[in-house]
Amino acid sequence: MSRYAVNSLLYRLKKDPEFRDRFSRDAAAAVAGADLTESERAAFVARDMRRINELGGYLHLVMSIPGHAAH
Amino acid sequence: MGRIVFGGAMSHVLDPDYYERACGALGRQTVVAVMAEIARMGERLSARQPDALIVVADDHLNAFSFNCVPAMCVRIGRRVQRMAQDHAEAFDKVLDHMPTEYPLHEALANAILEQGMEAGFDLALSWEAPVDHAFLSPVNTMHGTRPIPPLVPIFVNAFVAPQPTARRCFAFGQHIARVVAKSPWNVGIIATGGLSHFPELSLPRVGETDTVFDRKLIHWMEAGEHAPLQELTADELHKTGGHEFLNWMVLLGAVTPARADVRYFGELPRINLAAVEWRL
Repeated sequence: MSRYAVNSLLYRLKKDPEFRDRFSRDAAAAVAGADLTESERAAFVARDMRRINELGGYLHLVMSIPGHAAH
Repeated sequence: MGRIVFGGAMSHVLDPDYYERACGALGRQTVVAVMAEIARMGERLSARQPDALIVVADDHLNAFSFNCVPAMCVRIGRRVQRMAQDHAEAFDKVLDHMPTEYPLHEALANAILEQGMEAGFDLALSWEAPVDHAFLSPVNTMHGTRPIPPLVPIFVNAFVAPQPTARRCFAFGQHIARVVAKSPWNVGIIATGGLSHFPELSLPRVGETDTVFDRKLIHWMEAGEHAPLQELTADELHKTGGHEFLNWMVLLGAVTPARADVRYFGELPRINLAAVEWRL
């Protein structure tokens, strides 16, 4: 379980517009270097905020990432 | 000798557009109603001419991320900035049109911090942490176009387990009351957040609340029964979506044994909106 990796990635997506743009264009490439489990990586690549929340991503982050927020 | 001249607590996403998107026309109508009560609370606060306003609230992983999550943090310094967020979504959007900088009451913040350390509260301090909607939405709703008194923002970690206990938050509030009593200032204090929403911080459960739990809290606050509130556990707060009640526990410690008057309580599918004021 790498809750830190999941949440630090979410935080970066929220606060770093350049990284967010890269993620929007090619999620798999943007998270390629992140220390994620296979299921975490799959959830990010699918931009599946519900799954990311299930895997330990903090609710307020998954609800507030510009352009990717779950409502 | 200083005095706490006002004590209040309220929900902290005070944005009709947000609640209309989340809950339709009823959402807008309910938040407009709670905002009207909060504005009236602000008029009563201003009438007492406070030298400072302490705001006890939580961070939503904006000021503090994963470099450090303090259990309780006193924001010191001379000024505090509004959180910056490009293309803000959801609850962050409420900040968009608010002033970007606010004066702090440096001497009161330092007194709470320094005397707190001497009294055994291992408080964190920050000169740089910005404040998000949890602080600024209530403060701006209360004051409208009137001047905002110098603030003392106090952060409580409501969301990142393990959180401080309800009992410890209450004890910290009692400490604040002692500091104010020894000071020369008239001080207002508000706590923000809640009531019940986002149980277990689970996305599929957004839209659920625990009104039975909230009514129990309200009953104890109205009756001035603060002992059972100190028994609240982290597990209970997590399951009921009562995380932000920890902020209210600090306020309760500061005003105990005062009784509360509920100015507004409105149920929505997403959250129970509330505004409460204490008889001081």
